[in-house]
Amino acid sequence: MTAAALSVSRNRRVAFYAAGMALAMLALGWASVPLYRMFCQATGWGGTTMRVSEAQAATVKAVAQTISVRFDGNVDHDLPWKFGPEQVTQAVRLGERSLAIYRAKNLSDKPIVGRASFNVVPEQAGKYFTKIQCFCFTEQTLKPGEEVRMPVTYYVDPSILEDMDARDIGQITLSYSFHQDKEASRKALDRVASAR
Amino acid sequence: MMIFGDRARRAGSALRALGLSFGMGLAATAAHAQEAVASAAASPAASGSPSAAGSYVPMAPTPGVGMPVNGGLGFQPQYTENGQYALWFHDALLMPLIVLICLFVLLLLIWVVIRYRKARNPVASKTSHNTAIEIVWTLLPVLILVGIAIPSINLLSKQFKPAPENALTIKVTGNQWFWTYTYPDNGGFDVNSYMLNQPGQPKINADVREVGSKPWDGPAQLEVDNRMVVPVNEPIRIQTIGSDVIHAFAVPSLWFKLDAVPGRINEKVLTITREGVYYGQCSELCGARHGYMPIAVEVVSRDKFNAWVQTHSGGVIDHQPKPAAAPAAPAAAASAAPAASTAASAAPSASTAPGA
Amino acid sequence: MANTVQDHGHAEDHGHDHDHKPAFFARWFMSTNHKDIGTLYLIFAIFAGMIGGAFSGMMRFELTEPGIQYLATFSHWFGVANPSFDEQLHLWNVLISAHGLIMVFFMVMPALIGGFGNWFVPLMIGAPDMAFPRMNNISFWLTVAGFCSLMASAFVPGGTGQGAGIGWTAYAPLSTSGSAGPAVDFAIFSLHLAGAASIMGAINFITTIFNMRAPGMTLHKMPLFVWSVLVTAFLLLLALPVLAAAITMLITDRNFGTTFFDAAGGGDPVLFQHLFWFFGHPEVYIMILPGFGIISQIISTHSNKPVFGYLGMAYAMVAIGVVGFVVWAHHMYTTGLSVNTKMYFTAATMVIAVPTGIKIFSWIATMWGGSLEFKSPLVWAMGFIFLFTVGGVTGVVLANGGIDDNMQDTYYVVGHFHYVLSLGAVTSLFAGFYYWFPKMSGKMHSEFLSYLHFAVFFVGVNLIFFPMHFLGLQGMPRRYPDYVEAYAHWNWVATLGYKIMAVSILIWIVNVIYAFIWGKKAADNYWGHGANTLEWTLSSPPPFHQFETLPVIDDNAHH
Repeated sequence: MTAAALSVSRNRRVAFYAAGMALAMLALGWASVPLYRMFCQATGWGGTTMRVSEAQAATVKAVAQTISVRFDGNVDHDLPWKFGPEQVTQAVRLGERSLAIYRAKNLSDKPIVGRASFNVVPEQAGKYFTKIQCFCFTEQTLKPGEEVRMPVTYYVDPSILEDMDARDIGQITLSYSFHQDKEASRKALDRVASAR
Repeated sequence: MMIFGDRARRAGSALRALGLSFGMGLAATAAHAQEAVASAAASPAASGSPSAAGSYVPMAPTPGVGMPVNGGLGFQPQYTENGQYALWFHDALLMPLIVLICLFVLLLLIWVVIRYRKARNPVASKTSHNTAIEIVWTLLPVLILVGIAIPSINLLSKQFKPAPENALTIKVTGNQWFWTYTYPDNGGFDVNSYMLNQPGQPKINADVREVGSKPWDGPAQLEVDNRMVVPVNEPIRIQTIGSDVIHAFAVPSLWFKLDAVPGRINEKVLTITREGVYYGQCSELCGARHGYMPIAVEVVSRDKFNAWVQTHSGGVIDHQPKPAAAPAAPAAAASAAPAASTAASAAPSASTAPGA
Repeated sequence: MANTVQDHGHAEDHGHDHDHKPAFFARWFMSTNHKDIGTLYLIFAIFAGMIGGAFSGMMRFELTEPGIQYLATFSHWFGVANPSFDEQLHLWNVLISAHGLIMVFFMVMPALIGGFGNWFVPLMIGAPDMAFPRMNNISFWLTVAGFCSLMASAFVPGGTGQGAGIGWTAYAPLSTSGSAGPAVDFAIFSLHLAGAASIMGAINFITTIFNMRAPGMTLHKMPLFVWSVLVTAFLLLLALPVLAAAITMLITDRNFGTTFFDAAGGGDPVLFQHLFWFFGHPEVYIMILPGFGIISQIISTHSNKPVFGYLGMAYAMVAIGVVGFVVWAHHMYTTGLSVNTKMYFTAATMVIAVPTGIKIFSWIATMWGGSLEFKSPLVWAMGFIFLFTVGGVTGVVLANGGIDDNMQDTYYVVGHFHYVLSLGAVTSLFAGFYYWFPKMSGKMHSEFLSYLHFAVFFVGVNLIFFPMHFLGLQGMPRRYPDYVEAYAHWNWVATLGYKIMAVSILIWIVNVIYAFIWGKKAADNYWGHGANTLEWTLSSPPPFHQFETLPVIDDNAHH
């Protein structure tokens, strides 16, 4: 009897540990979402760009070498916006702060809230492509037919020259895709309706 | 049996009706394509000389080039340097190696069957360890794999060599279920590319002609209404992105495959060494008509490419020598560049946005 | 080897009256007996396999020649009276998805782990039953419920048509914003149920193997089949929760406005692929490792010789399991990974070839010097070794990130994974079936029909899947209902192969029927002295309750 009870408690202990492992993996699965984001933001993985404050940006010294930056804009198939860069490319000095302008127009007769996702290619440039200000940091609301010019302030970190994998990049492409924030768009529409 | 056939017939007619109504919905998006067809057709058989007005006659593909062949056993012939290196790596190294390994295992099995069958070897040995041979069959595969890894790593680093700054850029957008090719360096026009319909099969794309109705049409299910036209022997920066779900831009004879993921761009360089038409197909499950959005890349000389560009409204020839803007742009040009390129490309960027 | 004290030594002589079996309903629906649950799993796997096999048959018939011929007819079978062309194409995507999900989650896994694992792990380690018999019962019925949920998904709207047409990989955003309707939710829910069942099963196996081995049976004396199930159970325990998390996020993205994999809200669709394949790659080893275990038992038995390099064999499986967790992104070479990432995954993937090679060579070395009796299980096992080698070496080709750029998502990949799974795992299933069927049923099958089954099956599956390598090299993409004229030849051959394979399945069914009606009564140890694990010390079939007094393994006994 005691032997049986002993074996039951032994079994429960092993099962408990095993279930604990499964739960830990489940938690890891969920945690992977913020962990992946943090990993991308820290390492530039997948062409994730860096983000700094004005104060941090002021400490970067520009050097003589230049690099070409290309600008690209996309909209999701279900977002009735026109969106694209005003300039196709810019040649910039490494470390020097530059300004690029995108233009977006709402082609529909409703206010729409859009949010931009972005990355740079070649992806090893992500670690060095640094944004100071960007329209992509917040969501954008466009009234019916409204057209706006949206700025990006950025620089390319001169330490790209010390990276074996990244220093022979001829041109960096910064790409944005605008997506509709359906929830926020509906709220914006409600606000318009209640204002009337 | 009769009921069954009857049902099938009814299904057929309903299917045609539904196909038609779907076509109506698609008409809006097809308008783009129509325009391009019209502009291509408007310049019939103009002489090959690159005139400012632009001219383009689609090239007829060569059978067996850039397309599969019936009963084929191996890779399609390759028309890029990296493709040829990869093909050599596969055909000269990997393939013989794996065939040898399989034959070796097969021979051992046959030998065991013959030599150690019960009739021949009634008393089994009791050997269950032999450290020496265990070390050999651990280390030998390691050495073989290291041998494979060297060209494999080499191939990868070739494939990932970044594009030069002034490489022609083409953005490939995957849509359900067609491709859009955007030429930002050539004025930013879009080319929408739909599969040609097949005679005797349900109509896939409304307002698109049937395959075989033009002399330059390639195989059914591979030929499209508007091809992606690129210049030969030039590095091309291919950037892919999806507008709805994930697609994959793939051309087997160019050893090229890159996913088009919505919300983020991907980039790879492609240098094609021979003029011709090269076909591919979408290679990531993207919904119902995943099998009906082929890719056709037409590779032409620089002159013909320029002429093709000029058939599009707003089409400009890329990387025209500009004063004081050599590839290694000096600082002066750099500071002037934003203003200058804004002026040069204000119109193109306005027309860049797809999905309008 | 084992001094087994058998309470039921003569039970078989008096029928089964002494076993005190419960009545029919209680025995089969509320079963807590590991052998009964194993039987249920096997019957369920056969049933699910027939459906999954029928789906592949529908796919092969559609692919016999270019053009769409049968999809409208198939749509009628699923209750769609007047399918539009898009609905027909959607049905194709439903078929490929359901075929994959059924074969992975409801055929191979239930058969190998639920069926043979439940039956023989307790018998081989000298345990009276599994550690948690009632949880075992829940596992089985959850699997059945999962299967029902998947079947139900085929009859509800799923976007362009009826059913979930998202591939077994369910990549976002096709599986989220790309597929409206409840079908995808049903399909995902079925994976939740099957996953929960497998995790419970894994906990059960781990506890049983750690705690309930007979006195003297140390870990290093366990039969290799038990080792393989132990490693598999750990893979299940670590991999499936990650899948569960990922597909739960799919559900919330679909229904509750979250944006885990939606770029619109800052999510990344590629993250889903990372999570899926973090589960998906160990999953392929989950499907093949128990097969490895079965093959080891069979080869040792019919060579009349102990397994060569027992420790190497056991730890090779552990190594495969461990390395299996760090190679997942080789399924994602074309998603835009960086060069360094691709180099790492290329190298790491190749490493798996080393322990796999150890296993192949150790099996051959086991036969080397042995006294081979070509009973049907050995014939199947030798077929397995060769077919698995073919599937393995094409895996080495695919491991190269630069080569895979041209092969990703082509029929070469389909050929490769069917060689390791359809020809590998399924061959090991049939090998195990012929090895243990008389032990489980008490009736001998026909050896002649078993050989015939093997011969026809071998020809059939090779005709189906070998030409797929040619198609893939020529560039034919997978998941296409229709294809270019130039792929017609080899597709026709593959369909011919399917028909031959289908005949072999009929032969197998005849063989089972033959065994139950005319089969000779099976002796306790019908394979002779080469079969020396504990299940052979029991009657055939074993008594309802076995090892009420535990067997004792003496010190110098060999595994």
